[in-house]
Amino acid sequence: MLSPATHTLAQILDSRPSTIHPTSLDIVMSTITVKVEFGGGLELLFSNQRSHRVALPARVPVSYSNPFSPPSAAGAEQGIQNSEDAPKKPVDLSYLIFWLRDNLLKERAELFIENGTVRPGILVLVNDADWELEGEGEYQLKDGDEIVFISTLHGG
Amino acid sequence: MSCGNPVADADALMQRRKKYDKTKNCVKCKVAQGNLVIRHAVYCKECFLHLVVHKFRRTLEPTVNPKPDGPRRTALKPAGNLLVGFSGGLGSSVLLELVHRCYIALDKSTMLADGGSHHPRHERVWKRVSVCYVEVCDAFPGMKDRTEEIARHIKRYDGLDFVSLRIQDAFDLSWWKRVGGKPFSSELGVTLADEDLFLESLASKSSDPLTSLRTYLSSLPTPTAITTSVQTLTRLLLLHTALHTGSSHLVFGTSLTSLAVSLISGVAQGSGFNIREETQEDWTPEPPEVSASEVPEESTNARDSQHEGKKARKGKRTVRVVRPLRDLGMKECAAWAWWSDVPVVGKEKWGWAGARPGIGTLTKDFIVGLEKEYPSTVSTIVRTCGKLAPKGEVSGSCILCARPAQRGVQEWKARISIRSRPPVDPIAALNGPSDPVVEPSPVASAKPLRPSLTPYLCYACHTTLTSKSARPVPSPWPADARSAIVTLPVWTEARLSSAKGDNDRTSHVHGEILQTRRVREEEMKEIVDEFLLDD
Ligand SMILES: [Zn+2]
Ligand SMILES: [Zn+2]
Repeated sequence: MLSPATHTLAQILDSRPSTIHPTSLDIVMSTITVKVEFGGGLELLFSNQRSHRVALPARVPVSYSNPFSPPSAAGAEQGIQNSEDAPKKPVDLSYLIFWLRDNLLKERAELFIENGTVRPGILVLVNDADWELEGEGEYQLKDGDEIVFISTLHGG
Repeated sequence: MSCGNPVADADALMQRRKKYDKTKNCVKCKVAQGNLVIRHAVYCKECFLHLVVHKFRRTLEPTVNPKPDGPRRTALKPAGNLLVGFSGGLGSSVLLELVHRCYIALDKSTMLADGGSHHPRHERVWKRVSVCYVEVCDAFPGMKDRTEEIARHIKRYDGLDFVSLRIQDAFDLSWWKRVGGKPFSSELGVTLADEDLFLESLASKSSDPLTSLRTYLSSLPTPTAITTSVQTLTRLLLLHTALHTGSSHLVFGTSLTSLAVSLISGVAQGSGFNIREETQEDWTPEPPEVSASEVPEESTNARDSQHEGKKARKGKRTVRVVRPLRDLGMKECAAWAWWSDVPVVGKEKWGWAGARPGIGTLTKDFIVGLEKEYPSTVSTIVRTCGKLAPKGEVSGSCILCARPAQRGVQEWKARISIRSRPPVDPIAALNGPSDPVVEPSPVASAKPLRPSLTPYLCYACHTTLTSKSARPVPSPWPADARSAIVTLPVWTEARLSSAKGDNDRTSHVHGEILQTRRVREEEMKEIVDEFLLDD
């Protein structure tokens, strides 16, 4: 709804729900593109393709990717809530995880997602750094980021 | 934090400990930005990559010489070659890469700076390095055969010999002969459906290895028993391959995480006595290996020179099993493989339709989940298990898994267990002649004393073969009917047949008689009487 990028900042701000106050200029971009890679056998769940380019909305509904809210309360497991007036936030890694499940995952979601985040045993790298250094699911994605998901579960 | 969401706020109050200590800078070089968090410590990529090599060498190299070094470090002189057990999984892929870099390619980046060019580590340690893959796909329905993929993966490396086996080789007499096993005529089977594990003559002496494997697995009482048995068969195939390739060392890619899983699930399955072997073990084949003429010639030149004089016979050869990645968690292995461009072929889940997850799978899920939330706990488990010193005397090695068996376990087990099924013929059992002949015979069922596999087994294997599930277990191979009498793995058959041919040695080696006796219900009641509560 915020594209194309020729909109002025003022126009965009006007179109936003009044309860949200923008804190940074990243909202001038309506979508961002990130590179997603799978390793350690995890690619098998994603049509055996290791590398993907993914375009995501720059702002997403708050409830969608909140990993700490129970699924029944916030609909975290049910997918994107496209309601126009839902409160929004900058797109984060949690949103990407759900987006991958809903759009790229071909089989057995339980091997990728568990309790609203990646399953234990999956290592996530954000631009070559452990996501634990970057706030895990709360990391705010930037255009051009490289996100790697590596399964450690394929035994010894 | 924003206002509004009460659910999020409630969680915010109970925030978990931050995943890393203090700063995001590397704890080692203190300069670079961190790339990886390992049990709360932050490392940069550069320091981490070196750390993995260091931990690998630090675990493996003190085990290379037959006797541990004194205060002064001596040159690394193994008694034989090296065999790498390769599963295709993450751990063994990392292990193979490390072995190749450190001991074949002699990659400078893997050498310690303090060693200098004259340091012994700059030489090739093992004359020959082999890699052995055991394809288990025939043990589980619908599993993909990865042999070709694995062979291609191993071709990436020069200077390696590849040995490709299949799990059913464990029942293949021709494989047994190929690795120099003592020939025997397969005649005995075990009644796996009967908890007394009687030994009986096999109806047909020549079933093909695949059928034998599937019949064996199908006759086991639980899914846990099936996966544990496949692991044991694989381990023994690798041990005998190590012997055959003249290897003094067999290495596995068991990570800290997988070691914690096998320790916990092992204890849960009754193998507490062998908890040390799970980390490292020295295995000597029993009965002592075969005459020199049958030993493959390639292993001859691999003999350690200092042992040549006094131990010309192959009888005392020992394979040391080492897990050089046991200080590295799965996460470290995954990051190292990713940053070092090591592809992982992958390993499929062991399972089949209708089977509930076994103890191993449940333990793995538990440990991996624990490691995510409490990263230090897993190494604590392994360290704690390392301090355990099992009590009890060793009485030979188990005929099935080849690990040390604890003396007196069978008597103890017989005392505490109450059989639910009455004996076939209690009168005969009480009054029949107590015939000490070990020779099994088809009419043995009428006799009170019948040869049994039980005295030859360790506690864990006995439990694996006999502990029943409350619910019926779907067989992975319904078409292969559960057989009354099941063929045993070749190494077990070989020991049984040598025991049969030499009763004196049997009782000498095992210190126990090869017999079990059915006990009448009244007699059993007498035994347990003092433990019964009045009602
Ligand atoms: Zn560093
Ligand atoms: Zn055993």
